[in-house]
Amino acid sequence: MILQINFKSGMPIYLQIVDQIKAAAASGALQPGEALPSIRPLAEELRVNRNTVAKAYSELESLGVIETLPGRGCFLKENQSTLRKEVRRKLLIEEVDQAIVQAHHLQVPRDEFLKLIQERLDALDDKRRAHQDHKED
Amino acid sequence: MNSPTPAIQIENLTYAYGRAEAVHDLSLSVQPGRCYGLFGRNGAGKTTTMKCLLNLLRPQRGQVRVFGLDPAKHEVAVKRSLSYVPDQVAFYPWMSVRETLDYLASFRANWNRMIEQELLERFQLDPAQRTGNLSKGQRTQVALIAAVCPETDLLVLDEPTSGLDPIVRREFIEAVIGAYQQGIPGHRTILVSTHLIAEFEGLIDEFTLIDRGRAVLTLDADLARERFQKIRARFAQSPPEIDLQAALRVRRDGRELELIVNGAGPELMERLRQHNPEALSTESLTLEEIFVATLKA
Repeated sequence: MILQINFKSGMPIYLQIVDQIKAAAASGALQPGEALPSIRPLAEELRVNRNTVAKAYSELESLGVIETLPGRGCFLKENQSTLRKEVRRKLLIEEVDQAIVQAHHLQVPRDEFLKLIQERLDALDDKRRAHQDHKED
Repeated sequence: MNSPTPAIQIENLTYAYGRAEAVHDLSLSVQPGRCYGLFGRNGAGKTTTMKCLLNLLRPQRGQVRVFGLDPAKHEVAVKRSLSYVPDQVAFYPWMSVRETLDYLASFRANWNRMIEQELLERFQLDPAQRTGNLSKGQRTQVALIAAVCPETDLLVLDEPTSGLDPIVRREFIEAVIGAYQQGIPGHRTILVSTHLIAEFEGLIDEFTLIDRGRAVLTLDADLARERFQKIRARFAQSPPEIDLQAALRVRRDGRELELIVNGAGPELMERLRQHNPEALSTESLTLEEIFVATLKA
C-alpha cells in the first residue's frame, strides 16, 4: 500500500491518509488482519508530522476500520464496520449526494451517472479479484 | 476547560537595531506538541524573534514566555527545556565530531546515545572527522544531532535547511520527524523559521507569516489550504463581466480566468458556474503559494 499526500487537494492531511487506507481496504490492497505501516516510518516516508499519522490512525480505529494491538501495531480489522446499518447508510448518503451535485455541475445526466456507478463497482470487484488471485498464487 | 501553558507565548514583541525596527508588535502562541512555522522573507524578523526566545536579545517592548517562563529571568530553566539549531552553525574547528558531541552533551542533563548513534549512521558522519573539515550540510547535521539528543520539550530551528542541497534538506526533515518527534505524542514542540516552506509543508500544523517585522497571517495549515484556492475557468467566448472583487488576484488571458481566493472560493465558483464555463476547476494553494500570494497582494 503506497500512500500519497496531495497538498493541493484542500483536504486535511490526516483525512487523506484515512481515505486512502479506507480505499485500500475496500479494493483489497489491504487485507483483513494485515498490518498497517507503523507511524514513524510512514510519517518519515510521507514527510508529514507524526501526530498527523497518529490522528489518522485513531480516526480509523474509531471508525472500526483498524484495530491497535498493544506492542504489535495496527491491523486491518476482520469484521470491518461496527457502525449500525442506519449510520453506515447515512455516512454513505452524504458522499453520494456530493457526487450527485458534482455530476449536476458537470452536466452528467442521470442514466450516465448510474452507468458510471455500475462501472466503478465492477472495476472495484475486478481489483478485488486480482488481489485475491495474487494472494492465492 | 483550562488550556495548557503554551510552549511559546509572544506578546506585542518589538525589537529594533538602532532605528531599524526588526520586529514590530508581534504576537503568537504555540501550543505544546505542535509544529509551528514562522515564515517570512530574508530580513523579515524571524531570527530576531527567535533570539528573544533564547535570551540572546532582550525584548524592548512586549514579552516572551517559554513554557510560561521569562527567558531573561529563568535563563537556565528555559535553556534546559529547549534546543536550538541556529542558521549559522559554528563549532570549534579543531574538535572532532565525537568531541564536539561529547562537549555539547556535557551541558545537558540528558543525552540519548542511541539516537546519537542512529543519526550519525543515518547521516554517514565520521565521528573522527574534525568539524573544521565538515561541509555546511554536515555541520548542520551535527547541530541537529546535538539538538535532538537532549530530548528537550521544544526544538527551535532557525532557517535550518537554507544553503543545503535537496537531499540533505530531505534527510534533515525526515530526521526531525523520525528522531525528534518520537516519545509521548503531543509532548515535542517544534518552532521552525524558514523561507523554504515546501519541504516543511507536511510537518507544519500552524504558521505565522511575518513581513517587515509584523505578523501578516496566522493560520492552521489544513485550514489555510482549504481557504486559499486557485480557481481556473475557461469560457466559450471572452469572459463575461463578473463581480470578482472577493478574489485576492485575478488574471485574464483571452477566454481564460484565473483567480486566487482567500475563503471566498465556493461563492466565486458558484458565480462563475452561472456563466456556463467550458471548464471550471479549483485547487488549493500550497503553503509556499499562500506565502507568495499574501506577500504580493
